Amino acid sequence: MDSLIAKADAIQPVHKRRNNSKRNPAPRNGPSKHAPQTDSTLSSITHQTALPRSLRPSSPLPENAPTHNHVPNKKLRAELSRQSAQSIRRKQLIEDAAELLLVDDAGKMEVEGEMERTWRMTQEEICREAGAEAAKGRREWKLDGGPYRARYTRNGRHIAVMGRKGHVATFDWQTGTLHTELQLQETCRDIAFLHSHTHFAVAQQKHVFVYDQDGVELHKLKSHVEATRLEYLDYHWLLASISTAGHLQYLDATNGQIVAVHQTTRHKLGTPISMTKNPHNAVIHLGHQNGVVSLWTPNLPHPAVRLLAHLGPVQSVSVSIGSQGEGGRYMATAGKDGMVKVWDCRNWKGAVRSWRVRSAGDAEVEFSQRGMLAVASGGSVNVYTKPTLPAPNSPPPLYLTHPITHKPTTSIRFCPFQDILTVGHEKGLSSILVPGAGEPNFDSSEADPFENKRGRREREVKGLLDKIPADMIALDPDFVGSLGPSGTKEPDEGVPFARLPRLQRLKIQGKADETEVDADGGDGEGNDGDGDGAATSKASKEKMKMRGRNKALKRYLRKQRKNVIDPKAIAVRQKLEREREERRKEREKARLGPAAERKPSALDRFASNRR
Amino acid sequence: MRRGDPTPTSRNLDPSMHPFAKARERKRALNAAKMERMFAQPFVAAFEGHTDAVEVLAKQPESLTTIASASWDGEIILHDLGRREQIARFSGAHRGKISGLCFADEERLLSCGVDRTVKLWRVAEQGESTPEPISVFPGKTVFNSIDHHRTDPLFATASNTVQVWDETKSAPISDLTFPTSTETITSVRFNLSESSVLASIGTDRTFTLYDIRTGKAERRTVMRMRNNALSWSPTFPTSILLASEDHNLYTFDIRSLSTPTQIYKAHVAAVMSCDWSPTGLDFVSGGWDRTVRVWKEGVGRAPEVYHTKRMQRVLSTAFTQDARFVVSGSDDGNVRLWKAKAHEKLGIITARERAAIEYRDTLKDRWKHDQEVGKVHRSRHVPKPVYKAAELKRTMLDAERVKEERRRKHTRAGASVPKAERKKVVLAEQG
Repeated sequence: MDSLIAKADAIQPVHKRRNNSKRNPAPRNGPSKHAPQTDSTLSSITHQTALPRSLRPSSPLPENAPTHNHVPNKKLRAELSRQSAQSIRRKQLIEDAAELLLVDDAGKMEVEGEMERTWRMTQEEICREAGAEAAKGRREWKLDGGPYRARYTRNGRHIAVMGRKGHVATFDWQTGTLHTELQLQETCRDIAFLHSHTHFAVAQQKHVFVYDQDGVELHKLKSHVEATRLEYLDYHWLLASISTAGHLQYLDATNGQIVAVHQTTRHKLGTPISMTKNPHNAVIHLGHQNGVVSLWTPNLPHPAVRLLAHLGPVQSVSVSIGSQGEGGRYMATAGKDGMVKVWDCRNWKGAVRSWRVRSAGDAEVEFSQRGMLAVASGGSVNVYTKPTLPAPNSPPPLYLTHPITHKPTTSIRFCPFQDILTVGHEKGLSSILVPGAGEPNFDSSEADPFENKRGRREREVKGLLDKIPADMIALDPDFVGSLGPSGTKEPDEGVPFARLPRLQRLKIQGKADETEVDADGGDGEGNDGDGDGAATSKASKEKMKMRGRNKALKRYLRKQRKNVIDPKAIAVRQKLEREREERRKEREKARLGPAAERKPSALDRFASNRR
Repeated sequence: MRRGDPTPTSRNLDPSMHPFAKARERKRALNAAKMERMFAQPFVAAFEGHTDAVEVLAKQPESLTTIASASWDGEIILHDLGRREQIARFSGAHRGKISGLCFADEERLLSCGVDRTVKLWRVAEQGESTPEPISVFPGKTVFNSIDHHRTDPLFATASNTVQVWDETKSAPISDLTFPTSTETITSVRFNLSESSVLASIGTDRTFTLYDIRTGKAERRTVMRMRNNALSWSPTFPTSILLASEDHNLYTFDIRSLSTPTQIYKAHVAAVMSCDWSPTGLDFVSGGWDRTVRVWKEGVGRAPEVYHTKRMQRVLSTAFTQDARFVVSGSDDGNVRLWKAKAHEKLGIITARERAAIEYRDTLKDRWKHDQEVGKVHRSRHVPKPVYKAAELKRTMLDAERVKEERRRKHTRAGASVPKAERKKVVLAEQG
């Protein structure tokens, strides 16, 4: 029996195994430094497969760290060497991050002299300098039946164009393959690709129609009456449309069901006239007739955010697509009041930047993938770099400008993964080159410009499997997988103690950590007779602002007023009372003049009691 | 690029190039959890042949496929799980039911029954003729269980007493019974690592440890309810699993027999049998509630549950030697083969498929705390009677708890102290 027990100590369950790495340290990082690596196969793949140095679980001390051997003080020496190692590690981290995230800011035009300006470069000059393949992006499509609108697919390979009079065409612009060309013979207002170039929706005179690659009408969406703008939410498979009557409709493109209908005009917002989606969180941004911009999600019957952006109708809205961490963070609006404004979507207090464009009217704005902002207005297209740097009331640095002689310009679209900007106007479309506008590094699992038919089919199936439910659209897309609010519900009467959640059991035992609740819990009772709701909302935060007379003292008192009667608080309270009395007397004296020195009457006691 | 080459891919790890990464991953995890439930088809095969309840199963050591089963009609059948056929059949091996079965070594099989005999059989492909036993050991009382020593030619039997026999002698060589015991011993098992240590359970709710070198009972505990089966862990020598009449399974560390290391609660009727997987990380149990459950060591709830319409009370279970399958013998006379992992795909798996399976497993594990994913991942469909019984059991236990709480509330403070569930299991320790 004892031998069995003795044997048991040698072996332990896997999850209880002691970490004995400390006792017999294994040789770290494989082979020693002195033996040079001669395996050619290994060295050929290490570059691709090795984890960056900074991301390794324990990065060794950098090799080129300076030694501080000349410092006699041991403590100081250790501190110095730690600091230098830390700074070297930090640099490595930044380098690795830059390498992994491809943050290099290349591809833009740069000036050599101080007097040179990039915006002086004309399209002819740019085309001459650019390679032959890149110069193909510069095109002019002269078409009748304008003004024209255009839309690219997510991978930037295909383009759909639509003229106001009903001319619709989709084609692969790189190879020049025309997929379909339709003459719909009625007013068309907008066009949008669905999940891939094989399906597209057109907002026509009365209804929205869905066509396929060959121009065959697949669906007539009767529920969308007189739609003016269309947006397609790729990951949710939702087609959103706004109508002249002010309805915002979400249609599930997989089964044709209406997910949500919001009557936007009910909230005194005016008719929506412009629309865009936030690619970061799939919130729909609407620009309204009365200058309001509102943000909508399918699961909220009211706008998630509304802000008065302009003094006139909001002509155009765009949200930054932004690789490099700016995705969905900034919104640009252009209004009929001749202003263009850039907003921070995390903080709606005032525009980050606003400036006046030369001619009021139909200004259009559009962000590029690399964070440039194109503004088309008054016969020219201007492209700005760094439009999100906060500097109110001045236009951002102008990067490029191009005159468009055919007014009005109705749509501008950057081509994804290309340095191309397509401007739709009265006489057709013109594509111009904007060096450095597009993201050069595509991810083929998301949007692949070189996708073949098999890849497209694969993506469609995978996309359908990964379809996110419509009710998961929220302003903060990161709420998925985060902790929910802690349960503060009171326990039911009948539930036995052992069946209660852990937190409640702890609470009953008095062992729960309730410091958070207690910190502002005592404040509510001190309020002067507000409702319970107001008390709790006020309890949420003690502001440190100094507003009004003697606020700090009052705050001090409020903190003291916790069912505890101590002489200090009483003394302070009496002092306050005395001061108030004196102030009142002085006021009275000032009001009544010296005549105020009246004789005390018997009725005074009631006055003081009332106070 | 040549024709047939895989499509070249490029990656951009910038998070803003991958919008809704988390939401999509969650959806994928949900799909993975649903797919697991869709592919969960644990039943592999049924082996017929017995005409009465199969009470005992025995694994052939060092064989992945051979398993022996014995039933109440006194018949022993050797099954080949791989080829799904019978290797040998010993009809009329005993008169009355066979209550114990174990392999002596690769070629020989020991059986005992209610006809007061232990018989030793040679295992071989046989012809038409009914085989004769190599030797017969007559006993004085009805035998309930038998287990062979791992290396020596010894075996232990359980009846009114625990006896150790030598294969070459026709009478027991020693009697290990606990001095004051008057009970019937229902099962004996040798420890797999320290092969002289023997454990037994008895009808008097006891669990006893013996050492055949000292030749006496070392320790005994009396538990709240009697145990129906026991099994030593193959990897942790001091760990033992007991299947109890009170619907639970218990693992004990024999170094401290006062409390179980874990209580396993899910059965809604008495647990009739249990067996460890050879890895010692899982074990299987079969119950009077007509279900087979596969547990993870140390996880006391939500086991995998197997059931079929025609399976009756599960009297015997065994894990196969490759830890991939589970065998159950039930009251309806069938031996059934199940997968240990319900959703595991049998057969050849390509590298891509393997990668997909591993990815799905990781996703499920990562998102199991999500409400929706976890619900799909956890919930199991059980037959209506089992479901109802579980519901009833829960209600009764809750009511008991409430009552106890109220009673405590109305007694003097400190007069009745709540007792942990683990402390309630063992009533007394002796020896």
